Amino acid sequence: MEPNDDPQLRKVLREWQVPDAPPSLDARVLGGRRSWLRFLLTGQIRVPVPVGLAVAAALIAMSMSLAREHGRPPAEPVRPVFNLKDFQPVAHIQVRVIRSQYAAE
Amino acid sequence: MTDPDFQSAYHRHKEVIYRFACRMTGSAATAEDVTQECFLALWRNPRAYQPSRGALRAFLLGMVRKLILKRWRAERPHEPLEDESSICGPLDLVGEERAETVARAVRMLPPLQREAVILAEYEEMSLEEISSATGSELAAVKSRLHRGRHNLRRMLAPLLETEGTTYGTK
Repeated sequence: MEPNDDPQLRKVLREWQVPDAPPSLDARVLGGRRSWLRFLLTGQIRVPVPVGLAVAAALIAMSMSLAREHGRPPAEPVRPVFNLKDFQPVAHIQVRVIRSQYAAE
Repeated sequence: MTDPDFQSAYHRHKEVIYRFACRMTGSAATAEDVTQECFLALWRNPRAYQPSRGALRAFLLGMVRKLILKRWRAERPHEPLEDESSICGPLDLVGEERAETVARAVRMLPPLQREAVILAEYEEMSLEEISSATGSELAAVKSRLHRGRHNLRRMLAPLLETEGTTYGTK
């Protein structure tokens, strides 16, 4: 210990005594240790307000987006559009008849 | 750290941690809170304590000190932890118990002087142990202790005078 050359000061300081640790501390410390399973079931965590608000806003936005997706009527299948504007009939038709090999029989 | 190890460490050190917290904060309820936080922090992360770096008592005192200073900073964000220029005058003792006067004088010290005085005078720790517990240089601890004692002599001058020694209050 640092030598204190003032025994009078030491004597006066020692007049201030503090109480011993209360018995309730034992329960708080020894009973305060919880297993992970118990923590998962009953634990609480502190979340800063900005983080909590950001998470809540994200959840609301996600749920609204999902609700919109579900509320929308199913999209109709795309039908092909036929356009005969550029249709050109062939100039010479060459007809070729292919007979079946069984036709002569 | 096994459960019996933790319980043994708790029973061995709870009084010194609680007493230190009580003297530093001046509140039994706050002392109980920070002592609980300190031991539960050790339980949750026992690897934070490295036996090669010092005694468990110094480690726990260092941890509870951090918790106390954190609360202190939250309550007084603009007040310095150490005010080298702080000079305390003699206390008015009218209508006050001697022990209460001593408690008030110790609590009026800036936090870093206060912790050095408490650890040296009440817990009888060496400068090296205080240095290890507070994570401060030896010279800094010595200086804080010197200034703390000097301030206490001034504040408690009326009590010390009645003990037979007269101290200047300049």
